[in-house]
Amino acid sequence: MPDWRKLVQRRLSGLALDFTEKEEIHTELAAHLEESYEALCTEGLPEQDAVQKTLAQAGDWKDLQRKIFSVKRRRQPMHKRVHQLWIPGLLAMALSTAFLMTVQRLGFQPRMVSWKEADIVFNVPWLLLLPFIGAVGTYISSRAGGTRGTVLLASVFPVIALTAAFLLMFPISWIIERIMGSQGDFRNVAAVLLEDGIGWILVPGAALLAGGLFTHALFGRRSSSRETAIG
Amino acid sequence: MIGTGIKRGTAELAILSVLEEGPLHGYEMARRIEEQTKGALRFTLAALYPMLYRMEQRGWIRGAWETSQSGRRKRCYRLTPAGKKKLSPLRKEWAELFGALKRLTKVAHA
Repeated sequence: MPDWRKLVQRRLSGLALDFTEKEEIHTELAAHLEESYEALCTEGLPEQDAVQKTLAQAGDWKDLQRKIFSVKRRRQPMHKRVHQLWIPGLLAMALSTAFLMTVQRLGFQPRMVSWKEADIVFNVPWLLLLPFIGAVGTYISSRAGGTRGTVLLASVFPVIALTAAFLLMFPISWIIERIMGSQGDFRNVAAVLLEDGIGWILVPGAALLAGGLFTHALFGRRSSSRETAIG
Repeated sequence: MIGTGIKRGTAELAILSVLEEGPLHGYEMARRIEEQTKGALRFTLAALYPMLYRMEQRGWIRGAWETSQSGRRKRCYRLTPAGKKKLSPLRKEWAELFGALKRLTKVAHA
């Protein structure tokens, strides 16, 4: 008896869908072909004829692939984005905020490092926890079938949100200062932006990304070895 | 030549009608339709599954994975309340269309 699953995988190899979605389609179609083949064999058809007849019932594989892709692609992209980016990203952000608050409550003082007249604040215990948070974001996004770009974006989501807050905060504070009549020095603003950008965005972002990349490498390898074993 | 819309419409009606009798997986569905229409309606994989996925997206049917006694995983489809609601106007539309065609061919032959 032919390996129907392998056959389906081979015939639909160009189906550009998520791994999980493709797996389900392969399983479903292989089960159909297997049942059809078994029924033909039970009717008394020789094995070779049963295989030929089953394959004839399948129809045009290219047409099938095109139609499935067209139907599945039409599914609301927002639904996928919520599961692949927003949920893992927001969870990573909530976890990083909760850990930062816990670390501060436990009395861990941030370390200040002076670099070229700038004082950069690092919260070391929090930074050490961030790779795990990045890993959680990546793992959840990967499970939802996120692409490499999406899972890594989910891992660094907390710093993206923080960057957005920073970018909003500075023009707002500049406008408030202008309204209140005080002349803000642009160099001071730039220095604060640089210090906070390094301490709260760049370094935490790197820590989150490190965890994300590690998990993606681990999870991605597992997925591809699973695919090889089947196909 | 039968248009795509008519072909799709008859296929949808056939699927909804067999699922009204109870939940079925793809192969059973195709077989049941072929038997009940005495071979007049036959589904290839290329016709059946994209149709099932489309109908599932529209909320007319719902698929769920089941494991048979032989350990084979199958996706079993059942009619949703929205599918049941869709079935009766669809039947009426097709009955009207076939009635009209019958009358037309009778007039043409007379």
